[in-house]
Amino acid sequence: MMRVSHRALAWCKLVLLLAFMIFTILPLVQMTALSFIVTLPRPGVTVGDTTLRNFANIINDPALRSAFGNSIAYVLINIALTIPVALPAAYAFARLSFVGDKHLFFSFIAFRITPPVVLTLPVFQLFSTLGIVNSVFGIALAHTLFNLPVSIWILQGFIAAVPKEMDETAFLDGYSRPRFIWKILLPQIASGIAVTAFFCFMFSWVEVVFARILTTTNGKPISMALSAMFGFQTDIGLIMAFTLVSMLPGAVLLFAMRNHLSRGFKVGQI
Amino acid sequence: MYVLPSVMVLGVVGLIPLITVVNYSVFEIFTLESRFWVAAEWYKTLVTSSRFWASFGRSSLFSLLVLSIQIPLGIALALSIPKRRLWAGLSLAVLSLPLLVPWNMIPALWLSLLNADTGILGQLLTHYGWPVAWKDYTALTWIVILAMDTWHWTSLVVILSYSALSTIPAPYYQAAAIDGARPWQVFRHIQLPKLLHVLLMAVLLRFMDSFMIYTEAFPINAGGPNDASLFLAIDLGEEIKAFNYGPSAARSVLYFLIVLTVAWLFVKARAGLDDPQAGRV
Repeated sequence: MMRVSHRALAWCKLVLLLAFMIFTILPLVQMTALSFIVTLPRPGVTVGDTTLRNFANIINDPALRSAFGNSIAYVLINIALTIPVALPAAYAFARLSFVGDKHLFFSFIAFRITPPVVLTLPVFQLFSTLGIVNSVFGIALAHTLFNLPVSIWILQGFIAAVPKEMDETAFLDGYSRPRFIWKILLPQIASGIAVTAFFCFMFSWVEVVFARILTTTNGKPISMALSAMFGFQTDIGLIMAFTLVSMLPGAVLLFAMRNHLSRGFKVGQI
Repeated sequence: MYVLPSVMVLGVVGLIPLITVVNYSVFEIFTLESRFWVAAEWYKTLVTSSRFWASFGRSSLFSLLVLSIQIPLGIALALSIPKRRLWAGLSLAVLSLPLLVPWNMIPALWLSLLNADTGILGQLLTHYGWPVAWKDYTALTWIVILAMDTWHWTSLVVILSYSALSTIPAPYYQAAAIDGARPWQVFRHIQLPKLLHVLLMAVLLRFMDSFMIYTEAFPINAGGPNDASLFLAIDLGEEIKAFNYGPSAARSVLYFLIVLTVAWLFVKARAGLDDPQAGRV
């Protein structure tokens, strides 16, 4: 009796998982299918034919190529900005207990849950004053608003998993705290930093609200190049092809990181 | 001292803009140079408008539905992730694929999926009586938006839940097996307590993101039919596009107050979780 119910449960789980995976993949299959189809009448091709033209068009369009470059640039800048800033804070939250640490952590999280649309106007004005509108730096800085809190959260989970004795031994050996973090802690949490960078990449790559308001003339990332393609004559095949291409770097990283995705995110001592 | 860099960055990107918004919200602004003090005028207009409260109600209902679908589903999926490391990693990666789609493309993907002539799902559903003009129906529009949001974000709940589940040491399960615990008892007494903290975080993130849904919801049906899918953030977006500085700033401040209230409730809830557990662990 017992064994039967266990087996039934295992089957239920498998069915649920597979069903949800099909649900997950369905829109992506649709996207992939459309990206290989002619969807806009052009000389020499008929609508509905199977084609590789959409992908050829992406490679031949300088605007799309530069959009790809812009996206990569601002995401890398964002990561380079976020992680060094988040690391000491994550260390403090994981190891030192100080007055108001819980509240500080939640005021950080409050910035993560603030909808970007609330801040678009003043961020645009502030950044025009600073002269970083229409450049990849503006977007990279704006995206720290949500990436920094998340990074602190993930990193502190990884740091908390490192045994505390390691700190104490290092201090006895005469390491200062910053030198300990740099020399001993960093190699220990290397995978944590990779996970953090990946999540920064993921949330930043697909963001739209800041990307739109901060790039009116120049520095347009992938998402805005996609927006610009919708119009009087929308070539949905090309749009889907470009979306597919835009997902490839993320998908490669996602599968490379698959065993580390669900680490971090610990909410213990804070 | 170690948190100083973070405080500074968030101060520039978050706090200064917020203060600016608060400042704008009490002025009538034609251009940024000529402005008139209007005190709480914009706030008064806003909180007395039925349109605002209607949007507020719709957003609340939407968030409630999102949470009641995605949180149980996310936990169930996290529990269903296979034990073998290879399959666990692959399942998580496949489930997370929607997170990689640019947000403005998510509604486009779903609209083409539901296209009655060419969409995979659209053709199938139309065959079984799904109306071609589904945009005319409030219920169907809501179902589509909910399905889209579930598709997009459930994997986040799965990742968070799975991360909490993976901290449970194997001896706990062995002990439970020796005691002959039923699967439900294992869940209730071993897995759920570990999940609570992270779940609270998942609830917070999913609640706020769905409450302020903006980019994804509008293109599905342009807020229709008859404003039935007009959510809070969409009104704000429209006002900003029209450059109504004062009213949009007042609205932003009000929304931020909602964020703060929710974050505060969350801190309270966490304190409630921590206390009874202190003795047990």
